[in-house]
Order: sequence, then structure tokens, then C-alpha cells
Amino acid sequence: MKLKFAFLAAASAAAITGTAVADEYVIGVMSAQSGYLAPYDGPAYAGFQFCIDEKNAAGGLNGNLKVKTIVKDTRSDIAEGVKVVQEMIDEGAQFIVSSADADPTIAAAQITMADNIPTMTFAGTAPVLTQVGPHVFGSYPADNQQGAVLASYARDQGLERVWLVKSPDSAYTLGGPEYFGSAFESLGGEVIGESLYSLNQPDFSAIVTNIKAADPAPDVIVTWAWEPDFPAFIKALRGAGVETQVMGGDVLDTPTVRGLGEVVDGVVHTSGGFPDEGSAYADFIARFEKATGTTPDNNYYVNGCDIANMIEQAVAAAGSTDPAAVSAAMAEIKDGEGVMSNFTFAGTDRMPLRDVVVAGITADGKKEFILRSTADPETLPKP
Amino acid sequence: MELLLQQTVNALSLGGVYAMLALGLAIVFSIVRLINFAHGEIMTFGGYGIFLSLVFGFPPVAALIIGLAAAVVMALAMERTAFRAMRGADVVSLLITSFAVSEILKVLFQNGISARPVPITFPASWSGTYQVGDITFGVVPTVSILVTLAALAGLTFLLRRTVSGMAMRAAAEDIEMLRLLGIRANRVVAVAFALSGLLAGIAAVIWTAQRGSVDPMMGFFPVLKAFIATVLGGLGSLGGAVLGGFAIGIVEVLAQAFLPETLAPYRDAIVLAAVIAALLWRPDGLLPAAKTSRS
Repeated sequence: MKLKFAFLAAASAAAITGTAVADEYVIGVMSAQSGYLAPYDGPAYAGFQFCIDEKNAAGGLNGNLKVKTIVKDTRSDIAEGVKVVQEMIDEGAQFIVSSADADPTIAAAQITMADNIPTMTFAGTAPVLTQVGPHVFGSYPADNQQGAVLASYARDQGLERVWLVKSPDSAYTLGGPEYFGSAFESLGGEVIGESLYSLNQPDFSAIVTNIKAADPAPDVIVTWAWEPDFPAFIKALRGAGVETQVMGGDVLDTPTVRGLGEVVDGVVHTSGGFPDEGSAYADFIARFEKATGTTPDNNYYVNGCDIANMIEQAVAAAGSTDPAAVSAAMAEIKDGEGVMSNFTFAGTDRMPLRDVVVAGITADGKKEFILRSTADPETLPKP
Repeated sequence: MELLLQQTVNALSLGGVYAMLALGLAIVFSIVRLINFAHGEIMTFGGYGIFLSLVFGFPPVAALIIGLAAAVVMALAMERTAFRAMRGADVVSLLITSFAVSEILKVLFQNGISARPVPITFPASWSGTYQVGDITFGVVPTVSILVTLAALAGLTFLLRRTVSGMAMRAAAEDIEMLRLLGIRANRVVAVAFALSGLLAGIAAVIWTAQRGSVDPMMGFFPVLKAFIATVLGGLGSLGGAVLGGFAIGIVEVLAQAFLPETLAPYRDAIVLAAVIAALLWRPDGLLPAAKTSRS
């Protein structure tokens, strides 16, 4: 009994002073291995763990602080996500990497708020997600940055009238088109119509028929719909004989969308990066491929790796692993070095300012680079 | 007028898919009192059958036939491995078994094939348009309406004019009596599952041709709607399932097309409220089965 008591006391003491005596940095990772977030969390986690392993092999973060990751499945369920975040904190997590969408990140951030534990989303891009508190961070170029860059490209192409297709079911599918619309209007374009859909909506033909009947007709249709809604929408649109230019968010940057054949020929979308020959990104792909046998076919892999880089640079700048200090240091990073692109948190509301790529899909299912640009923070549509 | 005509085609096309899925649910329910929530996974499996056949280089028509066959095989396998052992169990136990089968299959699809949707590309000519006067119609929605009508006509013929069909209708009335008459109940049940699998397979073909991708959740949402359709039509009533399927499809498309923008977010709520109102008016469904089963 005495022994048991002593053991318990020692365990509690270790738990209380966990951050002070740690000789390793504990990062908790929410990773949906099933459900709607699995296609994004899976690659993001693979890229993150790959770069953490590389850093650990070289001595750890900044060459001297080994990282231990705790990874827990959320099944894309917000209640489950909240539970696993609490468990990971109980197991000593000093940093939480949350699922690739705003809603689970916001839920996780409510739990991490009490201890000021820095919380960074794998790839959530809705700018509202950082409003929870000063400990919450984005990692990917936010929807308003993507919308602003894409709107500016659309106006440069002489497009004047946009029809927005959005879903109120998620911050991403609602916010993206709205940011685009607001940037497009401020550049002299006009939003002539909107359609609302539900996630996993069975049928898009009614929306398509309404777009087709619009007078005047739009010269561009913009949606932040993801799979399987986007494939269903574009099939219905082209199947009804509507050949209007379609533009969308970075979620269209997937092999599934590119594999849809002729219906996606000419579709333009934003993206977080492009692996130019000889770039750090191309080098990451080669290393990842060599080590795992898998070819990273979307940006979530490399963004996962960049999250490891962001954490390393924040810990270095903080000079400690204290959660509040790491959060404060992260928020001040200016032109931090990333693989997908460099990142600046200073002067933002913790959604990093990063390059946005505009890319097009060709008839043979390839991705074609169009331009790379950074949104102007002064004219960004506000969340 | 043109808009209304086109939206009608859209409504019938979606309603047809719901009708086929609802009919598949109703055939099985009428005989073994099982509400098969794994019906959606039969449809998904059919979709993956098409996807894998295309990946292995089969021509598109062969891929569609393989997809149909895959759905039938999956329905039969499900009956043999999961539901035969539960024959005679109460409705709730059967329902829970079907949820378990559904979850297991979804996880297998996710881990064995892909968590992400996989693309299905049919020849471009299949998804073209044609003109009638000034109005443009899509090939896929039109073909889907024709296929639905043909499938329903074929099924009606089978149920009314063949021995197997009559045995199935008799089993729906009273399976014990059928046994006493010397008909092998297992065979009748297996044929019912095979038919429901075939209908799910046809739905999978139409669904993938319209949507261009297959994912582990593909069958879940349409089958949820189809379940509502069977309740609306009258649980266990085959004609009711078809009517319910078309009713849900039509109300959904019309709500999407004509609701003012401020009401659009309440679309699903409005459709379901209409279903509840219909059930308050006719608690046994629009076309109740002879032996009524309320939901």
C-alpha cells in the first residue's frame, strides 16, 4: 500500500511539473483516420511525422530537443476530438496539432485555452478559427488570402460576373466563395447570383439548371466545394451543357479531381504551393518518396512538414518549451523558412501570410502552374 | 416553362434513384422484417466494382456489368454471412446487425481502397446533352429515368408473372405458410437479397455516372433518403416504396430549385417536415402494405 502511495505521489508530481523537467517536447496530434477529414488529416500527419522523424534523427528540434508525438484518432467526430485532446493534455502534450478543418480546431482550442497550449490546425483555412484565443494558429494560407488572389486573377482575365456556389455546413465551403465575392466586387466585378448546397448533397442538377437560366449569364462560377460534392457538381454542370469557367479553392488540388477527365479541363483553383524543379518542395517530395515509397500527391503532406518547421522555429525563438512562451514566439515569426513557402505570423491574426499559387487543370489531368502571389494584408477581406 | 420542364427531369431522375433504393429496402423488409441499413454499402461496393474494373482496363460497358454483379454478390454474401444467422430475430436486433455490417464495410472500404473519393471517368459522349426544340436535356438524367422505369417494369413482371416472384410475394404475406407449402424459404430470401442487390447496383451505376466519384460514404446518404421514402410510402409496401422514392426526390429538387434564398438553408428541414405532415395524414404511409407495419 505504501509503495502504491509513493508511486502515485511520484506520478502526480511528474504530471504537475511535466513541462519543467521534460527533456523531450511532447506534441499531441489529432488525426482523423476515418470520416470526412481522413483524406486531409492522413497526408498531413504523414508529412508532419516524416519531418519530425528527420529532425529527431538529427538530434531533435534545433538539434537538441527530441520530440515525442502522441497521435489519436478522432474519426472526424468533434466530440471524439475534444475527448482525445483532453487525453493528450493529460499525457503531457505541450503542443496540439489539430484536425484539418476549422470546426474541430475551434473545439480543440476551447480545451487547450485553459493551459495556453499552442494549437495549430493541420490545414484548416477559415480565418475565424484563430478567433478563439491567442494560442490558436493556422498553418495554410487562409481562405481570404486564397479568395483575394483568385479574385485578382479572375479580374485580370477580364471576368466580370460571378455566380457563387456555397454551403453553410462548413466555414470553409461558406467562407471561401464569400471572400472571393467580396474581393471580386472590390476589384470592380459583380456577384450576380448564389446557390446554397448541403454537404454530401445527392444531386446538383437543380442548382445547375438555375445557373443555366441566369440572365445575364455568369462568366465565372466559384465554389469551395470539396469531394464528393465538387465532382458531382462539375459533372452535372458540364452534363447540362454549361461550359462557363469554374474556379475553386485549394481543396480541388487532388488527384481525384484531376482524374475526372474532360469535365475538369480548364478548371482553375488555388493551391498552397507548387513543386518547381530544384525547389525545397521538390526535394521534400524526393526524400519522402525514397523513405516511404509513397509519392506526396497533394500539399497536405508538405504543409504537415512545415508545421514541424513552424514549431521548431517558435521553440527556438521562445528559448523555452513553456506553452505561453511558444505561443507568443510563434505569433511574432516573420518570414519563417518553410518548404511549401515561407510564413509570416507577425502582424496577422495568427493565420500565416503565405504565398498562394493559382493552378489550372489540363485536359489530360495534369496540374499547370499559372501564378504565385501573396495577398496584400491591407486589402484582405475581413473574417 | 423551360426551367420547370428541366427541373422536372432533374426531379424524376433523382426520385428514380431513391425509388430503386427504397424498393430494394422494401423487398427485403417485406420478407424478413429487416431494415437493411447496409444497403448503402451494397451500392458503394457496386461503385467500387465499376472503379476497379476501369482501373484494370475493362471497357466501360463491361465495367458497368461488373459493378452490377459486384452489388448482387455483396447482397448475397451479406445475407449468407450476417442476416441468415439472425433470421427470426426481432426488428431491433436485425436493425443493429445491419448497422454493424454497414460500419464494418465502410471501414474496410476506407482502409482497403481509399478514404478519399476515387474518380470514375466514363466516355465524354455519355455525359453530353441533346436538344428538344429550344430545351437542352442532359443524357445522364434522361437515361437514368429510362433505366429506372425499365427496372421497375422488369421487377413488376418478375413479381407478378414468375414462380420466384409469386413465392416472394407469398413470403411477404406469410413466410411460415410458404414453408409449410414446401417452398425453400432460404432460396426465396436469397432471391430477394439478390434483387435488392441488383437494384442497388443499378442505382450505383446511375449515381457514379452522375457524380463521377466513389467514396466509402457514397451509399449512406441516398439510402437514408430511401429509408425515409419507404416509411413515407408504407413500410413493407413495394408500390409505396417507389411512390415514396419519387415523392422525396421531387420535393427535394423542387425545394432546391424554387425556395427563396432566405429559406434555402432550411431545405432539408422543410422536406422532412413535409414527410411528417404526410405521415400524420396517413400514418401507415401513402400506399400501406396489406399487413401494416408502422415505423
